[in-house]
Amino acid sequence: MTARAAVHPGELAISLGLIALGSFIIYETQGIAETQGYAQIGPRLFPYLIGVGLALCGAVLGWHAISGGWRHVPLDEGRERPDWIAFGVISAGVVLHMVIIGWAGFILASILLFVLVARGFGSKRPVRDAVTAIILAVAVFLIFTQGLGLNLPKGPFEGVF
Amino acid sequence: METFSALLAGFAVALTPVNLVWGFVGVTLGTAIGVLPGVGPALTIALLLPATAKVDPTGALIMFAGIYYGAMFGGSTTSILLNTPGESATIVTAMEGNLMAKRGRAGPALATSAIGSFIAGTIATILLTVMAPIVVDFALKFGPAEYFAVMVLAFTTVSAVLGASAARGLASLFFGLAIGLIGLDSQTGQARFTLGIPELLDGIDVVVVAVGLFAVGETLYIATYFNREADKLEKMKGSIWMTKSDWKRSWMPWLRGTALGFPFGTIPAGGAEIPTFLSYAIEKKLTKHPDEFGKGAIEGVAGPEAANNASATGTLVPLLTLGLPTTATAAIILAAFQQWGLQPGPLLFETQPLLIWGLIASMYTGNVILLILNLPLVGIWVKLLQIPRPLLYAGILIFATLGAYGLRNSWFDLLLLYLVGLIGFLMRRYDIPVAPVLVGMILGPLAEQQFRRALAISQGDLTIFVRQPISATVLAITALVLFGPPIWRRLSARKARRTG
Repeated sequence: MTARAAVHPGELAISLGLIALGSFIIYETQGIAETQGYAQIGPRLFPYLIGVGLALCGAVLGWHAISGGWRHVPLDEGRERPDWIAFGVISAGVVLHMVIIGWAGFILASILLFVLVARGFGSKRPVRDAVTAIILAVAVFLIFTQGLGLNLPKGPFEGVF
Repeated sequence: METFSALLAGFAVALTPVNLVWGFVGVTLGTAIGVLPGVGPALTIALLLPATAKVDPTGALIMFAGIYYGAMFGGSTTSILLNTPGESATIVTAMEGNLMAKRGRAGPALATSAIGSFIAGTIATILLTVMAPIVVDFALKFGPAEYFAVMVLAFTTVSAVLGASAARGLASLFFGLAIGLIGLDSQTGQARFTLGIPELLDGIDVVVVAVGLFAVGETLYIATYFNREADKLEKMKGSIWMTKSDWKRSWMPWLRGTALGFPFGTIPAGGAEIPTFLSYAIEKKLTKHPDEFGKGAIEGVAGPEAANNASATGTLVPLLTLGLPTTATAAIILAAFQQWGLQPGPLLFETQPLLIWGLIASMYTGNVILLILNLPLVGIWVKLLQIPRPLLYAGILIFATLGAYGLRNSWFDLLLLYLVGLIGFLMRRYDIPVAPVLVGMILGPLAEQQFRRALAISQGDLTIFVRQPISATVLAITALVLFGPPIWRRLSARKARRTG
C-alpha cells in the first residue's frame, strides 16, 4: 500500500465542483419569480436548500481532500493503473453514435458503437465483433420497430425494412 | 381476515394466464441479469420503462417485481462460480461461495443459496402480506407534514447511514435532488434550471440518469480500471444436491438470515449489503465448524443469501405502503408507478386493491418459479457467464443508447446519457454511492410537494413539522441517525484517550 498523500487533487477538484454547482443553483434560483400568494411557499425555497446542501457537502469534502484525503476510501489496486486508451475508445464510440445516428440510422450507428466498445475492452477479434454487432443491431432494430412499434431512424436502409 | 380475502382476490389476478406470463418473464429476466455481471435490476427496469408505458400496469409491475427479486437469485450463481459478484448484495456470498466452488462443492453452494433464497423470499412475502395493511392503517393518518418527515428520514438513511462516508452520500443525494428540480415546477408551472434549453422543460428523464449511471458510467469504469485480469469461471463439478449434513447446517442460517434481512429492508435504511454482512458475521460466530470459514463454509453462503432476498422483499413494504423507495431499484419501480399516474401509498390500497394485492400474490408464485429456474436449470444460466466481456459490455451499451434515444428520438438525450455516464464514472472512481442520486431525483419532487402543502396548511409556519407528534418523532429519529454516530465516535475516542 502506498501512503496516501496529504492533498488529493482529484478529490479536491470534485469538492470544488460541488461548491460551484451549489453556488450556481443558489444564483439561478434568484431568477425564479416568487409567487407572493397568501402564506404560500413558492418555487424558490427548495432550490435554495439544495444549493446550500450541495455547497456544504463540497466544503466538507474539500476540507477532507486537503487533510489526508477523503475518509474510508477502499483500496483498489486497479485504480492505480488506469487504461485511458480504453476510456477514450469507448467514449469515442458513444459520441460517434450520437453524431451519426440521425443520418446513418440506428443499425450502422449501433454496429460502430459495438465494435468500438469491444475494442475498448481489449478484444483482438474484429471479425467476431463485427458479425455479432451486425446480428445484434439488426435483430434489435426489427424487434423494436416491427414488434414494439418504436420509431428508429433507418438511414440508408430506408425502404429495405 | 380482511387481509386474507384481499390476498385471495390478489391471487385471482396473479393467476390469470397473462399475469403468470408477465411474472414468468420477469423472474426469468431477473435471473439472467442477476447472473450477468454489469447488468443489474435497476438498469433493466429503467430500460423497460418506455416499452411498457402503454401496457397494463398490473402485468408490467408484476414483471418489474420479478426482475427485482429474481436478480437476487441469479446474482448468487455468479458470486459462487465467478470471483466477481453479480450483484452488490451478493459480495458476501462471493467469499465463502467461491471458495466452496474451488473445492469442488459448487453444487451444494448453488443449492443452499437457491433454497435459502426461496425460503427467505416466501417468508418475507408472508410478512409483507401481514404487515402492509397494518402500516397502511397507520399511514392513513399521515398529512403532508408527516409524509415530508418520513421522506427526510429515508433521504438521510439512504445517503448518510449506508456507505463509507456520510459526506459523500449526502453529496450524491443533493446532486439527485438538484436533477429533480430541473423542469417545470409542479405547483406554479414555472420553468426552473432549464437554462433556456427547450428539451429540459420536461426535466431529465429517469431512464437517462439510471442508464447513464449504471450502464455508461459502469462500462467506462470497468474498462478503465478493471479490465486487466480475466475472470476465472469455476466448473460445476459433482452433485448439485445437498447432503444430509448440508441441510442440517443450512436451515438455521436460512431462518436467521431472513430474520435479519426483512427488517433491514423494511426500515427506510435500504440496501441489502448491511444485513448480508451481519448475517455472515453471526454465522461465523455460531458455527460448529469455525475452521471451515475462510475455506468455504456452507453457513456463510446460506445465511447471507437468505438475508439479501428477505431484504429485497422487505423494501417493498415502505415502497408500497408509503411510496418510499430505499434502494435504487425501488426508486425506479416508483418511477414505473408514476408513468401510469399511480402513486404508491395507503390510498393506492383503497383505489387499486387488485393491482397491489395481485402484485403481492404474484410474489408467492414468482418464488416457486425461481426455485425451479435456479436449481434444476442452473446449467443454462452458467452458459451466460461464458459470454466474453467485450461482447457483453458492447451489448449493454447498444441497449443503453437505444433506451435513451427511444424516449423521443433526440440526440440530446444521448448527449445527456454520455454526460451522466461521465459523472457516474467519476462517482465510481471516487467511491461516491450512486443510489442516493436516483432516490433524490425521484423522491425529491414529491418531498417538495408535501413540504409546500404542509406549509400552505400551516400558513407558512415552519414549526408545523415539530408540532405534529408523528412528524416530530420521525424528525428526531432522523437527527439521531445523522448526528448520533459521529458524536458517539468522538465521545468514545475521548474516553479511550482518557483511559489510555
